Amino acid sequence: MKNRLSSFNGLTFVKVLIYLFFGVFLLLPLVSVFLVSFTGQPINLLGSITNSNILQSTIEKFSSASFDNYEKIFTNKTYFSAVQNSLELAILVSLIVIVMCIPIAYGIARTTMPFKRTIAALCTIPLIVPTFISAYAIIIMFGRAGWVTYIYNSLGGEGMLLDPYSMAGIVLVQVFFFFPYALWPMVAAFKVSDISLEEASLNLGARNWFTFIFVTFPLAIPGVISSALLIFTVSFSDFGTPIILAPKDLNLLVVEAYREIAGFFNWGGAAILTVIMVIVAAFFFWLQHLFTKGKNYGSVSGKPKQQKLNDAKGLTRTLSVYSLAIVIIPVLAMLSIVLQSLATTWGKNPLPNGYTLSHYQTIFTSSMGNIQNSIVLALGALILSVIIATFVSYFVVRQNSSKLDFMTSIPLVVPGIAFGIALIQTFNTAPLHLTGTALLLIVAYTIRRLPYMVRSTMGTMRAIKQDIEEAAVNLGATPLTAAITIIGPLMLPGIAAGSILVFITVIKETSISILLAPADWAPMSLAIFQNILRGEYYTAAAMSVVLVVIVLILQAIANRISKNQL
Amino acid sequence: MGSVKVSQLSKEFSGVHALKNVNLDIQEGEFFALLGPSGCGKTTMMRCIAGFEQPTSGSIQIGETKVNHIPPNKRNCGMVFQSYALFPHMNVFENVAYSLNIKQLNSSNMAAKLPIYLRLLNRKLGKYPKPIEQKVMEILQYVELDKHATRLTSELSGGQQQRVALARALVMEPAVLLMDEPLSNLDQKLRHSMRNTIRRIQQDLGITTIFVTHDQEEAMSMADRVAVMDSGEVKQIGTPIELYSRPSTPFIANFVGTSNVLKGTVVGQENGYSVVKGHGFLIKSTNHVQQKEVNVIVRPENIKAFKPGTISSDELTNMIEGTVLVSTYLGSIVRYDIQVEEYQLVVDTTFVPGEAILTEGERVQLTIDPERVLLI
Repeated sequence: MKNRLSSFNGLTFVKVLIYLFFGVFLLLPLVSVFLVSFTGQPINLLGSITNSNILQSTIEKFSSASFDNYEKIFTNKTYFSAVQNSLELAILVSLIVIVMCIPIAYGIARTTMPFKRTIAALCTIPLIVPTFISAYAIIIMFGRAGWVTYIYNSLGGEGMLLDPYSMAGIVLVQVFFFFPYALWPMVAAFKVSDISLEEASLNLGARNWFTFIFVTFPLAIPGVISSALLIFTVSFSDFGTPIILAPKDLNLLVVEAYREIAGFFNWGGAAILTVIMVIVAAFFFWLQHLFTKGKNYGSVSGKPKQQKLNDAKGLTRTLSVYSLAIVIIPVLAMLSIVLQSLATTWGKNPLPNGYTLSHYQTIFTSSMGNIQNSIVLALGALILSVIIATFVSYFVVRQNSSKLDFMTSIPLVVPGIAFGIALIQTFNTAPLHLTGTALLLIVAYTIRRLPYMVRSTMGTMRAIKQDIEEAAVNLGATPLTAAITIIGPLMLPGIAAGSILVFITVIKETSISILLAPADWAPMSLAIFQNILRGEYYTAAAMSVVLVVIVLILQAIANRISKNQL
Repeated sequence: MGSVKVSQLSKEFSGVHALKNVNLDIQEGEFFALLGPSGCGKTTMMRCIAGFEQPTSGSIQIGETKVNHIPPNKRNCGMVFQSYALFPHMNVFENVAYSLNIKQLNSSNMAAKLPIYLRLLNRKLGKYPKPIEQKVMEILQYVELDKHATRLTSELSGGQQQRVALARALVMEPAVLLMDEPLSNLDQKLRHSMRNTIRRIQQDLGITTIFVTHDQEEAMSMADRVAVMDSGEVKQIGTPIELYSRPSTPFIANFVGTSNVLKGTVVGQENGYSVVKGHGFLIKSTNHVQQKEVNVIVRPENIKAFKPGTISSDELTNMIEGTVLVSTYLGSIVRYDIQVEEYQLVVDTTFVPGEAILTEGERVQLTIDPERVLLI
């Protein structure tokens, strides 16, 4: 009996540790922030356990708990309009994205559109750029001194074509930088519809456009709706765009929550906004899940499907021109950043007045620390998430631990800014005074990006047959030794792909960095953000370029790895 | 080395009985086969012995020790998996050395563990000590794979992979060797030669071996004793000859070789014969049984077929008539399906070159030696 205990202890111990980690750093903060939304004052749950005085005051706070904050949503104009504006923004962005993407998705999925590969490749650019950099790029283009404005004025326009510091500006950035999230699921959705069905429709006498509206499109609808919901959640949780572009009179939940905490230390206000954000994001995430699950029009069949592509010249050319016109905008935005980073000065002209590398020199001398911080923090998060994700996927795949599976997907629905507020609130005081430490920052990054990592490792774990592990145990290895010596090495490709993804997303991370990073641990994203606030646009641009280049290189490596795996 | 004793073993999977009161008594050094159709519980039985399944009740004893509560990694049962389960990231040598590394790992202190872990993770990170290297090469030589030691397992043929799996299990000097359908992934020819190889090694080492298979030919040709299993129960245990000549149920009679099974009633005794009457036939047997209702079992090769009128008078006992339905030429024998009343009998006759084969629709007379008629 004793033998059995000691041999199973290793893994069980690890499992307990993982539960503890999620309990303390994910569930506890979320529960605390939920409670604070009632009490209106910070609550120290951990302290209540260790210190009776704190417990006393916690109990007092609870006795004064009320629904005041919840009433405020409706009575307080700022809160109410924040909720309203955020919902409006997310709905608007998802609708525009869907309408905009239908022709591109159809073009990629079902036609012989020229430049298809180029278009598909350019579609990845928006994904690698952090949104606050894209927002900044839009200022360079559409701002008062922007080159688009210059062209617009010289064509006879008055003022600005579009004010970037407005709802329209935010919509513009989110539409053009989030659309790839919707595009690929929609391409898949359009591939579901079988050409034979369309030919049947044509054969029955229907015209081409009639067939598209009544056969092709309805079959793709589940995929389209699911994409729309995805975009909704992404837009709703986005912090980088609004924090740069939202004007003072435009309240958005993410910005308002940030101001409450960073400006006024209004815990109750921040808490209630956080609760709303989590609930809305979770609801739409759940809706999207529902759609992807139920309505699968069985595209998986053993019979290889002959996809006949539409090659009508007029149609494919129009689609191609349209698609290129859309994917070129993020490219232009990035080019604007590159130009800005190389410019001596750039006034209201189509091109900079002169070129210099001095901004790069500046950041490589004075801001090297930020680059270093980013890399150290991302590496920290990477190591932590590799370890946790490997074990989590082991427990989920081999021991059917659905609780752990659920727990690791919670971060998917918690917007970054909400999670950041929850963490600050919880770890602000003893016994675990971690706010303002690099450790909390790394933990926050890890938890936020763990779902991606877990997905990647779980895939490889599923591919490893159970009997390989049993063979190791049969040869004398304890389950833990078998996990380290057999499962671990076999999972390496999945781990590598996942960890690069974690590294990239951590370097891009905005909300958590801005909320939690202490001054001496400021990562690149925070430095760029502060430079933009301070008006140091040229160095901000240069740093952005460095960040994007790092991400690009890593992305290329990740693609390499996942290709080799196949 | 050890004997294996299984008593009253039962295993339930969420309400389904995979094993019901199984008793096995396997001698030291014996080659024991668990034979049965898929889903009969033979693999579950083996996994219980290996420790991958916990029995619901009953006990398992290896040697003198009850092992029910010993974890699988401490049972010292070498196992050859159906899929071989070779470690794909390790080469042949490392696969075989794995258990020796683990053994060393368990007996060393913290500081000494590190180099072992390192060489387990990657062969370039550590050197193997001489004794391990020697032992691995010895066993590889034994299975004729020493020249392939540095190959990756994916570069080997099926038969070679099989031998790596065997070597990997043998190198740990297990008390019992467990083999789960080890030949099912090999082609016909290779299967035959691997049968001989496995049997030879087992005899050489005198290692107690439990062999799971659904192929009766495999079980009969290799094992000292065979346990036939069906729906979680052991139906009969015996030597291959016992099983073939005295199957205890019609199921076994049909599973171990082919049998003709006729239902009948014992109507009396006559000159030391039991007389059995069935639908449209009367048959005599030297077999005597207690019960009245019996199954009459006759092996195909124990029925002789004659063209009408060609039977000599001393062979007239147990003569029945029928019609040839199908005749199949199988090389050394000819197999007939013959309709006798409501029964279809299978009859094997030795093919004699020059002699005509009975054709479909032809009338035929069959005789059966009463000594070869089994009543159960």
